[in-house]
Amino acid sequence: MAGDYLTCPMCGFEFARGDTLCAHGCPLGSMCRLVRCPSCQYEFPETPATVGMFRKLFKRRRSLPVAAGEARLPENVRAASELRPGERATVLCLGATATERHRTLTVFGVAPGAELTVVQQQPACVIKVGETELALDREIAREILVEPGERKARAPTVEQEQPTGF
Amino acid sequence: MTADTNSARSLPRPTASEAPVTALVGNPNVGKSVLFRNLTRRYVTVSNYPGTTVEIVRAKASEEVGDREIVDTPGLNDLAPRSDEARVTRELLESYPDSTVLQVADAKNLRRALFLTLQLAELRRPMVLVLNMWDELEERGGEIDVERLSTILGIPVVCTVAPTNTGTEELVAALDRARVPAIAPEPGTTAPSDVTRLDRVNDILAETWSISEPERASLGVKLGFWAMHPVKGLAVLSAILLAVFWLVGLFGAGTLVDALEVGIFEQRVSPASIAVADRLLPFPHEHFTEEVPFTLSLPISPAHEVVLRETSRLTVRPAYEISPSVELTGGESFRRLVHDFLVGPFGQVTMGLSYALAIVLPIVTVFFLVFSVLEDSGYFSRMSVMLNRVFRIMGLNGKAVLPMILGLGCTTMATMTTRVLESRKERIVTTMLLALAVPCSAQLGVLLALTAALSPGGALVWLGIMAGVILMVGWLTAKVFPGEGSEFILEIPPMRRPQPGNVLTKTYSRIEWYLKEVIPVFLVGTAVLFLLDSLGALTAIAHAAEPLVVGWLGLPAEMANALLVGFMRRDFGAVYVLDAATGAGAILSQHQILVAMVTITLFMPCFATLLMITKEHGRKTALGMVAFIFPFAVLIGGLVNKLGLWLGTT
Repeated sequence: MAGDYLTCPMCGFEFARGDTLCAHGCPLGSMCRLVRCPSCQYEFPETPATVGMFRKLFKRRRSLPVAAGEARLPENVRAASELRPGERATVLCLGATATERHRTLTVFGVAPGAELTVVQQQPACVIKVGETELALDREIAREILVEPGERKARAPTVEQEQPTGF
Repeated sequence: MTADTNSARSLPRPTASEAPVTALVGNPNVGKSVLFRNLTRRYVTVSNYPGTTVEIVRAKASEEVGDREIVDTPGLNDLAPRSDEARVTRELLESYPDSTVLQVADAKNLRRALFLTLQLAELRRPMVLVLNMWDELEERGGEIDVERLSTILGIPVVCTVAPTNTGTEELVAALDRARVPAIAPEPGTTAPSDVTRLDRVNDILAETWSISEPERASLGVKLGFWAMHPVKGLAVLSAILLAVFWLVGLFGAGTLVDALEVGIFEQRVSPASIAVADRLLPFPHEHFTEEVPFTLSLPISPAHEVVLRETSRLTVRPAYEISPSVELTGGESFRRLVHDFLVGPFGQVTMGLSYALAIVLPIVTVFFLVFSVLEDSGYFSRMSVMLNRVFRIMGLNGKAVLPMILGLGCTTMATMTTRVLESRKERIVTTMLLALAVPCSAQLGVLLALTAALSPGGALVWLGIMAGVILMVGWLTAKVFPGEGSEFILEIPPMRRPQPGNVLTKTYSRIEWYLKEVIPVFLVGTAVLFLLDSLGALTAIAHAAEPLVVGWLGLPAEMANALLVGFMRRDFGAVYVLDAATGAGAILSQHQILVAMVTITLFMPCFATLLMITKEHGRKTALGMVAFIFPFAVLIGGLVNKLGLWLGTT
């Protein structure tokens, strides 16, 4: 997620928080508020919470670096937000780690393997699953990855979970 | 809604051991309550807000059903204890370990029902599945293999059409055949995940469910589609807003209020009650009489109307004079006080009741009627889709549309329904906007009447200021208040023709709630005004507030009273402004009307709303809002005044 990525103010290198260069056994330990850029070795303080709040107040939210991720999607896998109205698709994954959202979507019938039809994209994305029509934020639709076209054979992992009752 | 859930308390509560309990469980809006009525022959009013009714309604079954106790539960999509409804339902089922579960399903939405069926099956209770709304399924060309479904689930499955009481007998017969579902997992095994459940549901659906889509979309489907279309949707939205404006603002606040206030109260009720008071409380005085004109007309636009009937009647007014030669005795002075309390210029009948019943009631009634029609048609969800982006600016999402629109009816009621919003941040922002800038229907009606006294340009300026304030304050509150908003995932029900019975019941229960809430406030408010007036405090307050009212807002000193009663109820204050703007001896100029309108719109929420805010969000939040709203209203009003002076629009 965006919060775990830092940008070095010196060289502009973007790196994960875990990649920070830090001397082992440093006596400051968790008290240390400095991070060191793995690229240029420049040590800088992390943005304190108060400064962050002011920034939030006056700056537009920086967009997530999604564009780079989307480019790497395999062929014929697309985000639900890219489908044209009327297009049908099979859900592959519900996106990142928002489990609460996954539960809500699952209860409405949107889960991997479900078939959806896009009703519209503007002003909000509306999809249809079975007889249920659901309106979603574009941000949510962008994270739902689908495979356009009719439903295909299910993945073998799901098959193993088949109940024995019937 | 309080009014709706009251029925739960008034119902008899037999002890648990008396009769076997049958619990109605199901998704929201599948007709559980209608079915409940069919089984118990008891009438229960239903609210259509998801999440507001988390109370349990129960009653003894009717004789045909046999010795059973039927319990209605709130609609829920998911039995996992993540929501209040699910927790309440779970607790209920746990407290009746031998209860039978009667799951009510919307036949056309079998997928969601089956998801719940699987969760219910995990409780290992005897179950019956009811496929309600069977007619709507057939209308859409859907088919369910009921026998196959019954075999797979291992429980009786019955088809019903609850509103026409079709299939109730079969349902009663099936109740005795209720069994623990065959698909229930063995005791001791861990519950499957949501995804596994959904997969099972898809398997069952594949075997039992089919639908042949109609060639041509029905009008309802088309209308539902247009209502969300980026361009046509805006047209639908404006058309609906115009219709609401005409019905509530022009017809309700114009024609109906005129008929009730002038035609009934001023010309008939007030003179009659004055006559009664004079008879019972005699003291030497002479009431003024006045020729009161009354026009019954049908509005076309704010400035045009078709006059249907024009009459005028010589009427006794509350004001009176005592000849200077008469000296009142102690008894007479007391009688005069009581007389004034009841029918004086600040009398309970002549002011309190007439404001509540003749001005506020007709407007509110029309509004709630329109609101119920729109709600029943399924339009509000589509409106949420249209307005989601705008609400995003304020850290809210489309779901906040419903409380905000309801706020145009009654802010107190709307404050209560902010519960449907998921995060605390959203609830606070919405409550703030409701308290600050969303005028309730009574106030709105009066304000609309005021705009008629204002030039069209002035009315637009007022509208612009309000929209700007809502956006700006919403944006700021969202920034200042910590926390995240929630995500916008909203189910969109199919557009359907509003059911007259449903609409009337809902309108009635809301009006009932409103009257219980409002009439006491109006009477107490009038009493306070009367007290202040008899003590001579009204003039003193007007004098004390002079620098603020005259200096900063540029209004006549008398308008301090409008602000004072505005503390009681904003619409009360607005009525005051209306009187000063259009009544006999109007004292306000165009510029002053605008300033007064802006100030009174933004002014304090009414006392009932404040109590509701305290109840929902705590005293600290309520006080914080008051501390912001009062200075802010005066500030903006003053700025409009100074800006107007500077631009020379006076």
